[in-house]
Amino acid sequence: MDERLEKALDFSNYMITLDNTKRVLKEQYQDDLLYFCNGGQFTVNPGLVSFCQSLLALGQEETVLIDDNDIPIQVEDLKVFASEMVNVYSKAANKYITEYNKLKTNRTVKGIIEV
Amino acid sequence: MNQGVVLIARNNTEIDYIKQAIFLAKRVRKYLDLPTSLVTDNVDYLYNTYKNSVDVFDKIIQVDNDKKYSYKKYYDGIFAKKQLEFKNSNRSSVYDLSPYDETLLLDTDFVVSNDILNECFVQQKDLLLYKDAFDLSGWRDKNEFTFISEIGPTFYWATCIFFRKTELNKTFFDLVSHIQEYYPHYRNLYKLNTNVFRNDHAFSIAIHIMNGYTNNNFAGTMPGTMYYCTDKDVLIDLKDDNFLFLIQKRNESNEYTPLRIKGSNVHVINKYSLNRIIDNG
Repeated sequence: MDERLEKALDFSNYMITLDNTKRVLKEQYQDDLLYFCNGGQFTVNPGLVSFCQSLLALGQEETVLIDDNDIPIQVEDLKVFASEMVNVYSKAANKYITEYNKLKTNRTVKGIIEV
Repeated sequence: MNQGVVLIARNNTEIDYIKQAIFLAKRVRKYLDLPTSLVTDNVDYLYNTYKNSVDVFDKIIQVDNDKKYSYKKYYDGIFAKKQLEFKNSNRSSVYDLSPYDETLLLDTDFVVSNDILNECFVQQKDLLLYKDAFDLSGWRDKNEFTFISEIGPTFYWATCIFFRKTELNKTFFDLVSHIQEYYPHYRNLYKLNTNVFRNDHAFSIAIHIMNGYTNNNFAGTMPGTMYYCTDKDVLIDLKDDNFLFLIQKRNESNEYTPLRIKGSNVHVINKYSLNRIIDNG
């Protein structure tokens, strides 16, 4: 095979593997953002965290939130809820960046799958 | 409320589903800390072949070999395939067969690798299924897993079902049995493009009917993501929760790309490759 084509195909294979692995990491990050409370499931996002912080700033200690399945959930201790959501977010985001950075330093297919 | 996992294993001439069930029951114990019951039509085979592993099951439930099975192609990667019996007729009976008040019903090729399914048991919804799943290839057409047909309602995966024993769920499972019994009628009504009975379709149709023939929320969504690969892909290594797959490449009939995934539940549809991994474990 022409050396130029061979090099390009090596890079092509690397890109496919890298792209697939990044897709999986992103989806796993979404899974890691799930927070379960009082029979409800919440996907933690900056909007939800900010909203809870706003309610706390307004002096509210409890509230009702609509979960991922459209079920209203009574949150009895908003402070704990908000704090735990921040923990879930931090843990998920830190795991994501750690795994992502490992990928960045690998420039071969073998390197990616051995991460 | 007692809780547990139910697996159905009915071997065909080549695929040892009972072996997969033993493998999965051990993982259920490890990751979910739940008891597992086995529904099978071949208890003798279980005791004769795996007598040292039988105690992995909480209960073993014998069902008749009802001979109600169809045939379908089982691929082992891109290059090999066989037409084999497809014995999938017992799923709608699980409501009555399950010894648990709260049941997690899993396919034997659903490889549990984390504890997220424990969250089913604290959810308010009494029936949960996946309606979305994550294809590890990233390029395959997902239409057949979005709607059951071109006119059809939302597709739900019967691979993994959580249910509580409630009157409404009894009605639901009875409806699935009815759809199964009159499958030619429902296949025509919903314009399904397959002659092979699929539990995914029967459960999806039943949910559609229970929803008042609309898309509604009779069934909730299972927590987390179900990752899957097809039987054109190959599982080549699995250590604890660390999978290594060869995934069929886009626009290539005979090439794979490797993919590693850790800590996620994966539906490994290539049963041959899963059984090789179990054998080599």
